[in-house]
Amino acid sequence: MQTYYSDLLVIGAGLAGERVAVESALAGFNVICLSIVPARRSHSSAAQGGMQAALGNCAMGEGDNVDVHFMDTVKGSDWGCDQEVARLFADAAPIEMRRLAHWGVPWNRVVPGTSTYFKGGEKFEKFEKPEKEGLITARSFGGTAKWRTCYTSDGTGHAVMCTMDNKCAELGINVLDRKEAISLIHDGEQCMGAIVRCLRTGKLETYLAKATAICTGGFGRLYKATTNAVICDGGGHVIAQDTGVVPIGNPEAIQFHPTGIVPTDILVTEGCRGDGGTLLDVNEERFMHIYEPEKAELASRDVVSRRMTEHMRAGKGVASAYGEHLWLDIRHLGDKHISTKLREVDEICQNFLGVDARTQLIPVRPTQHYTMAGVRTDKNGAAYGLKGLFSAGEAACWDMHGFNRLGGNSLAETVVAGGIIGVKIVEFLKGNETSFKTGDINSEAKRQQERIDNLISGRLGKENVYKVRAEMQEALMQGCFVFRNEQDLSTCVEVLQGLLERSARIGLVSKGLGANHEVAAALKIQGQVRLAMCIAQAALVRRESRGSHNREDFPARDDQNWLNRTLAYWPEGQTMPELKYEEATPHFEIPPGERGYGGGKIIHADPQEIEAKTITKSK
Amino acid sequence: MHWLRNFGGSMSVDATMHVVRPGRRDAYLDWLQMLTGAGLVLFMWCHMLLVSSVVISPRIMDAIAEFFEVTYMAQVGGPVIFFTMIIHFILAARKIPFRAEGQKTIWAHAKMMHHADTWLWVVQAVTAMIVLIMGSIHIFVVLSDLPITAAKSAARVQEGWGWFYLILLPSIELHVSVGFYRIGVKWGFIKTADRPKAKKVENIMFAVFMAIGLVTLLRFAFLG
Amino acid sequence: MGRLLQFEIFRYNPEDKDSAPHMQTFVMEETTNMTLFIALNRLREEQDPGLIFDFCCRAGICGACAMVINGRPGLACQTKTKDLPEIITLLPLPVFKLIGDLSVDTGIWFREMYQKTESWIHTTKEFDSAKEEERMDNAVAEEIYELERCVECGCCIAACGTARLREDFMGAAALNRIARFVIDPRDQRTDNQYFDIIGNDYGIFGCMGLLACEDVCPKKLPLQNQLGFLRRKMGITAIKQFIRK
Repeated sequence: MQTYYSDLLVIGAGLAGERVAVESALAGFNVICLSIVPARRSHSSAAQGGMQAALGNCAMGEGDNVDVHFMDTVKGSDWGCDQEVARLFADAAPIEMRRLAHWGVPWNRVVPGTSTYFKGGEKFEKFEKPEKEGLITARSFGGTAKWRTCYTSDGTGHAVMCTMDNKCAELGINVLDRKEAISLIHDGEQCMGAIVRCLRTGKLETYLAKATAICTGGFGRLYKATTNAVICDGGGHVIAQDTGVVPIGNPEAIQFHPTGIVPTDILVTEGCRGDGGTLLDVNEERFMHIYEPEKAELASRDVVSRRMTEHMRAGKGVASAYGEHLWLDIRHLGDKHISTKLREVDEICQNFLGVDARTQLIPVRPTQHYTMAGVRTDKNGAAYGLKGLFSAGEAACWDMHGFNRLGGNSLAETVVAGGIIGVKIVEFLKGNETSFKTGDINSEAKRQQERIDNLISGRLGKENVYKVRAEMQEALMQGCFVFRNEQDLSTCVEVLQGLLERSARIGLVSKGLGANHEVAAALKIQGQVRLAMCIAQAALVRRESRGSHNREDFPARDDQNWLNRTLAYWPEGQTMPELKYEEATPHFEIPPGERGYGGGKIIHADPQEIEAKTITKSK
Repeated sequence: MHWLRNFGGSMSVDATMHVVRPGRRDAYLDWLQMLTGAGLVLFMWCHMLLVSSVVISPRIMDAIAEFFEVTYMAQVGGPVIFFTMIIHFILAARKIPFRAEGQKTIWAHAKMMHHADTWLWVVQAVTAMIVLIMGSIHIFVVLSDLPITAAKSAARVQEGWGWFYLILLPSIELHVSVGFYRIGVKWGFIKTADRPKAKKVENIMFAVFMAIGLVTLLRFAFLG
Repeated sequence: MGRLLQFEIFRYNPEDKDSAPHMQTFVMEETTNMTLFIALNRLREEQDPGLIFDFCCRAGICGACAMVINGRPGLACQTKTKDLPEIITLLPLPVFKLIGDLSVDTGIWFREMYQKTESWIHTTKEFDSAKEEERMDNAVAEEIYELERCVECGCCIAACGTARLREDFMGAAALNRIARFVIDPRDQRTDNQYFDIIGNDYGIFGCMGLLACEDVCPKKLPLQNQLGFLRRKMGITAIKQFIRK
């Protein structure tokens, strides 16, 4: 078997992964990045909105600063985040944006003078100061106090990804694509690298490294309906959890979006509803006003998703070959509005549905969107449980998002956290040496080869991986989607238990040779089902509603009992995850309070306890 | 260079990176190809004006021809044009596949693509060969029997060379109008947005010159 | 009931010694709003799990799923079956190395391209975290972004007659990449330095102007404008070098 060695092995070459890699390369360390797809195809490139950073250059961002950004982030997280981490993030974000500008990102810049903008379908004027001309500008995004989202036209993620990958090329970082890590090499204390399947040849390779970083993005593909790329399937989480000692943080914290198109689940912006678009059911009648008389379609993201789900369950969904959906109607907004202000929506409908939104209805359904959940790390990005293992970006639960992530904070996290954690990895590499135990390496390599051989020979059974996967996805859609309750979650866990057994008996239909996809799917299905069980079990146990975790039977946010973070372990040989809990944050800069949106009751924690943990910012 | 630090042989940093840079040679050759091409296009238009004048009257054509003769433009210009054509051919031929393998590739490519501009390039390559051979014969025949007169030209057409010009004429007109368009797009004189318009101009140009050419041939055929 | 679609798909798995290149026919019923992303995944899950192809974002953003669809290179994810006839022929992109069936190795090709074009900002300036960012005209930023929109799908390379004849031709994607840095004021490279990279038949002077690159580009990049711009610029650079000598 081919064996490669590097100081740092980064699994996943999206924005977070490459940003981490760049720091080590700048410090003179040898770095290898592995990616399932060519780096620039990473899901980072699909984030079109932008990155939040309190630069305060544009007129509508005037008076913004890192404190306001920090506050927005903490509130957004519904006080589920680690405030020390959120502070690190908010403080570093503006510097990172400037660094990216230096490296080559073509950020949109301030254009002086009067211009107009739209809010809630109304037109307003703003004046950009001449002295700010040419500085990085920002747009409004995700309901923040100030305009803070730095962007490059409609392709921020793509543009930053290009720059970051260019930087990697400049620094001579080995970015290897079509390489999938299928397990970590470790001895229970120390991570030594990974066993990797080459997606060109299907052969296994060994990558040894002093430090390993998991930067594989989210795991939206555990759900049937998701906006995520097909590569966001939790591969990184699976190998971390498979060690038995690394926990997944807050697996129940998953964000949804009300309007993904059917069948491809590509997002259409909420601006459609903001501008007057309506939701229709199978009879082409509006229904949101029945559930939400005041706000109707303008209710918050989660509420709209919930009511849509509810209405479909009441038999009012539109049947299709891809499951039930509802209609989004923007026909009445007219050609001019659709082809200018909703141009992106128009293009998505034309390109991926062949639907003309001026005359036709758009098929939509709620869909999974983002995972706050991830490999739990400390503030330095070091994973719990294994020395030498790190994680950054959506893959990690570094935990600046808590139970709800703000728009524009996710893309910013990739590079900001990547930079911070990258520096910490450099410190680690400078201060630590690793001994590679050939016994552990060889037995892991052998174990993985055996798994593949068993799949090909069908020795363990003949279960079809695609069927098991589809049932898992469906189970989560049914029991662990936007709104959750005891009964559905219990059923979900039961169904998943059955699937877990079946996932151990997968046999291939194909020959499994070369760049075979069935092997890849089969290798991770068991881990995926485990991950799904972590989500469902953690959601079942958490008897409160916080951020994106909504329990119909426990609608209040319970700071008395649940101001904490779930840690889901999967010790070897177990059939259920082991849930542990830790305090959400080491201290409060902002004590728990009202978010100011989303409504909901709060069961307050003991004021004295909060008081004791509250600090005043020293800066 | 940074990439030298790349480890292992796992990444195939290709040998093409180490090819000795050809300096400015390719740039000069490209300029020359364009300039000789443009020059030949201009010449062909003038040539067409000369011979088509016979349509109005053989005497006008004879007068123009005599002018060229007396000023020695024919004696000198003729070989110069021939020489330019050969140079242009050699330059452009650098890009044309002469091995069966390459020809097969580009043919399969054109068939796969259903793409007009790709087909036009195949047309250009094929007409280039026809023009090279038949054009050379034509120049040789004309220059070895100076002065040019309408009567001699007519005699040639009537003595069985008609088919010769019926092949050469469309070949040249195709090559000239496609080449004219391609110089425009390659050097960016024609912009992305103007391409459909330029295509139309190219087609009209071809049609007009073909029409003039055919009328001229007919005139020669019946000049007696 | 929808149409019965007949897929003619190129099959060859170089890692399987029993495999030989051939076309295979699959039949599937068309469903509403079907794209090739939906169709191919269904084929794999329901009919032949050994079928090899690439998808990633499935939203026309990442460029992973380029293939030759009824003769034309294009992105499968944004190709709707209702725009195609009943017989759909799918081939892998030419020029690139075949990985299996419809999947080709664009990754290696493009990473080599980054090295050839030195696809990064060349500057002697150091980043100063305490300082305000260097200012830039918004129009310039948007111009750069316009060229940065390339998703490296490889369609322009596969559609390029020159690239098919000469493996070492850089192609529109690489030349567009150079153009992106030429217009970026942060990059300190001179025309002479750019000339060293593309001022030859591997680069801009190798382009024969067939323009299929522009006509198949799924992102509708103005490639012809860039090629023309570079040819003039590099042509003039050569003349200037000649005069100064």
